[in-house]
Amino acid sequence: MTHATAIANTPARPIKRRRRPRSFRVRARAFAPVIARHGLLIVGVIFFFGPFLWMLLTSFKSSSEALSFPPTFLPAEWRFDSYAQVFTVAPFGLYYLNSGIVTILATLGQIVTSLAAGYAFSRMHFRGRTVIFVILLAALLVPFEVVFTPLVSLLSQLGWLNSYQGLIIPNVPSILGAFLFRQFFVSFPSEIEDASRIDGAGVWRRLWSIMTPMAAPMIGSFAILSFVYNWNNFFFQFLVVTQSRYYTVQVGLAQLQAENNSSDFSLLMAGSTLAIIPVFIVFLIFQKQIVSAMSGGLR
Amino acid sequence: MAIIEKRVPDSVAVTTGPPARTTVRHGDPVTKAERREGRAGYLLIAPTTVLLFVFYLYPLALTVYYSFTDWNPATGDTKNLVGLANYADLFHDSEFLTATGNTALYVIIVVPCTIGLGVFFAALLATPFRGRGVYRALIFVPHIAPIVGSALIFSYLLSPLGGLINSALSAVGAPPIGFLNTQPWALITVMVFSIWEGVGFSMIIYSAALANIPDSYHEAAKLDGAGPIRRFFSISLPLVGPTTGFLAITGVIGALQVFTQVYVLTRGGPLRSTETVLYYIYQQGFVFFHGGSASAAAVILLTVGIVVSVLQLRVLAKRDTVELV
Repeated sequence: MTHATAIANTPARPIKRRRRPRSFRVRARAFAPVIARHGLLIVGVIFFFGPFLWMLLTSFKSSSEALSFPPTFLPAEWRFDSYAQVFTVAPFGLYYLNSGIVTILATLGQIVTSLAAGYAFSRMHFRGRTVIFVILLAALLVPFEVVFTPLVSLLSQLGWLNSYQGLIIPNVPSILGAFLFRQFFVSFPSEIEDASRIDGAGVWRRLWSIMTPMAAPMIGSFAILSFVYNWNNFFFQFLVVTQSRYYTVQVGLAQLQAENNSSDFSLLMAGSTLAIIPVFIVFLIFQKQIVSAMSGGLR
Repeated sequence: MAIIEKRVPDSVAVTTGPPARTTVRHGDPVTKAERREGRAGYLLIAPTTVLLFVFYLYPLALTVYYSFTDWNPATGDTKNLVGLANYADLFHDSEFLTATGNTALYVIIVVPCTIGLGVFFAALLATPFRGRGVYRALIFVPHIAPIVGSALIFSYLLSPLGGLINSALSAVGAPPIGFLNTQPWALITVMVFSIWEGVGFSMIIYSAALANIPDSYHEAAKLDGAGPIRRFFSISLPLVGPTTGFLAITGVIGALQVFTQVYVLTRGGPLRSTETVLYYIYQQGFVFFHGGSASAAAVILLTVGIVVSVLQLRVLAKRDTVELV
């Protein structure tokens, strides 16, 4: 019955919907593509999502059960010790706070600066606008990670290693963000803004009360991706922070692995779950925006 | 009122002002009001521009400069110019050559596999059916999970001690495999992880591209008797060509920046066999304090990155997502 509805839902088969297949062979041939597709997709889901399920199940097992042979699928007894342990062997609460501060402030900073720059590059007229924009575009070509050695020594000269400003401020300028907001404003009709300009609204008034609300969907998708990027960021944070006081969740988790001789897997999987859960929650809520923003060229 | 009439469509890239003002560069102020407001423009672009120069372009310039010196990042002093010695040393450093080879292997193996699996799953999910959204979400999800967390899952799954894969191997009587600490398995593991992590992205990009193909193309081919596989290779695949180009180039750029999964899964081992170029730069700069050779390697990586990125912008321009200035 379910196969029949699956077929009926497939617009690609208008003829077979009317003819009811009689013999088993005919029916099998009709259903074969449907079954094959589901089969391949199920294999895909096991490969791509299975690891996360295994992580979650392991995090509720005891340390010895996580190492047992043969492995158990469901925990013999559902325990929350590993989660409690994560917070006692390392100050994971503090890591969460640090990650929260860094992610939220860096995301906010990226939105505000990109929105302002994108607006200026699209709607305002000043000398050097094109030249500066081309320089920014050229800088977009260079992967940020590569310049880290002098960047870290610059941050150390500023005394910004092991500090919130060191974790946040170098991440604030987003060329991609400025670029995308510029694209948004360029393609946005200028009549409303022109009308308000004639009514005497100044630049700031127009940007804040007219353009920003208009750009709300764009701000939304950019904010979501920015949040995911900043929460997941490891490499930069790993270089800037050496004191556990400023560890973020990702750095703290890597450190947890290093210090636990990587064999207490229920502990590590509880840590992984804690590091991954916020992103998954954001994904569950904003799945549509994330997918459409990413396929629209945001990364 | 005059302001509106004079407004130049901003999306036009070339100088298309009113005939009398053809010498005005695009974006320069034309009217008095524009000039007055233009000052606010500088203020609005200041945060992005200044921060970018300080934390990005200045370190970039330093990287190029340091690549010709014997800079020590730990002490910060003795910046003697050494000419091209750092570059010459790199090509005699077997670790650098291994790292370069590994990064090249990423480009040759990880990028095509990621693209191939991406288009495969996008094609399976191209027509609507019940459960499509769930399948797509579950296949996509590795791409947005933090790499440290998901690499730790892999290190558990592949562990010789209690790992699911080795347990399955011993259940069928096969000897355990040191997926994380023997050659060549460690490199294969890191690459499989990277493919696992990247497929979701190429899948959704392809999904968007496949959705743009008009149904009539497939209908016409179907009337001519083309099956789904034939239609995929003869219609879908050629029509998403620009997307493939886009993903190939973003994939290459991504391959140049592989670090986290190597750090978490293997720490570059065994015997530095899984180091990538970025990992090598990190080792040189932060472990051995060879700032000069770290910078020289960075310059090489940068050059490759820029060449590929120029190609990327061309492809993007063709794909219409990015409008060049």
